[in-house]
Amino acid sequence: MANKVKTVAEVVQTIPDGSHIALGGFAINRGCIAVAHELIRQQKKNLTLSQGVVGLDTDLLVGAGLVSRLIMGGGSLDRFGPVHCVNRARESRSVDAHDYSSLTICFRYLAGALGLSFIPVKSLLSSEVLERLEAGSAAKDVQRMKCPFTGEEYLLLRALNPDVSFVHVQVADYDGNSQIHGARWENEEQAKAGRRVIVIAEELVSTEYIQRYPEKTIIPAHRVEAVIHQPFGAHPTAVFQCYDFDADHLRLYVDHAKRIDRFPEYLKTYVSGTRDHWEYLEKVGGLRRMNDLKADRILGY
Amino acid sequence: MGPTLTKNNEQKMSGVRGTEIMAAAGAREIRDGEVVVVGIGLPWVACVLAKRTHAPRLTFLLEIGVMNAEPIDTPVGVADPRNFYRATCWTSFRDVMGMSLQRGVVDVGFLGTLEIDGFGNLNTTLLKDDSGKVRYFNGSAGGNDTASLARRVIVIMRHEKRKMRQAVAHLTSPGFVGGRGRRELGLRGDGPHRLITDSAVIGFDPDTHAAMLLSLHPIVRLEDVLENTGFPLRIPKEIPATPLPTLEEVRLLQEEIDPKGIYLG
Repeated sequence: MANKVKTVAEVVQTIPDGSHIALGGFAINRGCIAVAHELIRQQKKNLTLSQGVVGLDTDLLVGAGLVSRLIMGGGSLDRFGPVHCVNRARESRSVDAHDYSSLTICFRYLAGALGLSFIPVKSLLSSEVLERLEAGSAAKDVQRMKCPFTGEEYLLLRALNPDVSFVHVQVADYDGNSQIHGARWENEEQAKAGRRVIVIAEELVSTEYIQRYPEKTIIPAHRVEAVIHQPFGAHPTAVFQCYDFDADHLRLYVDHAKRIDRFPEYLKTYVSGTRDHWEYLEKVGGLRRMNDLKADRILGY
Repeated sequence: MGPTLTKNNEQKMSGVRGTEIMAAAGAREIRDGEVVVVGIGLPWVACVLAKRTHAPRLTFLLEIGVMNAEPIDTPVGVADPRNFYRATCWTSFRDVMGMSLQRGVVDVGFLGTLEIDGFGNLNTTLLKDDSGKVRYFNGSAGGNDTASLARRVIVIMRHEKRKMRQAVAHLTSPGFVGGRGRRELGLRGDGPHRLITDSAVIGFDPDTHAAMLLSLHPIVRLEDVLENTGFPLRIPKEIPATPLPTLEEVRLLQEEIDPKGIYLG
């Protein structure tokens, strides 16, 4: 059995500029924060990012200027605010944003994961969301047609196969068998559509543990290229049954992100000014803070 | 925006807030045993209230992949793990939005919005100011899917003229686009069913699909509603009053469902 454990820096070094990266976070939950930070430290350029509902991980990368194209279904930081950096980049057109919906992004990944080149769907029809896609650089990815059997109107979506899919999970073994607890939005479809699949695990376990609960394995080892073991790797977003989101730090983030002149200060203090995720964790409060955020065993947050 | 109306609704009326009337009116649109896809915010509050009162057998779906959770702390958003507590199933977009919603087994899609027009079309993507400057917001997420595919769609929002427009700034989620029927638009489900505001309950004419007033909340004046609605509103001869929440509904809302006022204000 292979030992696929790598550091986040090692993995990010293998990603060329211009890559299409998919991130597995949703708003303030299981964001790929350790990965986003390292992409910023290594100053990757000209990235295409895709995500169902963009959250803190994508907002960081767009705010840091690494992203030229965004393929997304929606975005928010829940009650902490909107994704300010993403919205600002859309307003100034510094990113080429392709807006879909949750289901249609999921279906594009699903087609990719199933080895299909396209998939039909019944949403986005008769909306400006579709008209805008058809009018821009996404026109090649959408096509209307009638069902050859029933004549019903459909939207066809081109499959989406990211160069690298990252997903933050609660538990993985050394070989990459990955288990996700709680809701999992489009994590499975997104990961399995990836040409390369990288898992960030809160906890590294033995295969014996995976074999006790095989029904919980969402991404199997044979699809996983590398496992990054990074406890609190999703901070300040939440990891169900591990730790809650850090409300204080999310407020601090939003205070910086909502002003274009203040955001570089955030990046400097917490990202480029830290060597790695361990140093970042020290800076945001260290062991004492992480212990405060630790999930209650019954509640899971 | 009509200052009189807003002021009235911000005032506590016998201890009842405008948002509480909205939540209770929303809850009453839900029938026991139905399947509902719920957006976060007041839709969530209204559906939890329905489930805790007259609709205990409600199937309560969140797009993110949660079924029938029973949170004991108010979630701050759809992705908040507080929403996962005591769920009967943890699953995915594919399952909830694909195999329930697109499959055609969802009775109600319950949504909030930034803007709505008189045919129930929703905008959650962007706003334009008078100079034409664009400000982006959250986009569709599950909104378009829900509005396109649920059997009936219920929308809940504050009653403001600038949000209830002749034409929305961006048509994110379709209702009866251009007054056309749903099959003609290539859409499934029967489209917008109710618009619940802090002033009124509004429905849509089964033939013309145009907005029509169904009831006014207590103490709200018709002229204020007309003044604060940016699209034509058909007015019936007799206008019933929206029932106030019961004492038990108010207690549930204030003490159990949203004690910190995250959504009820």
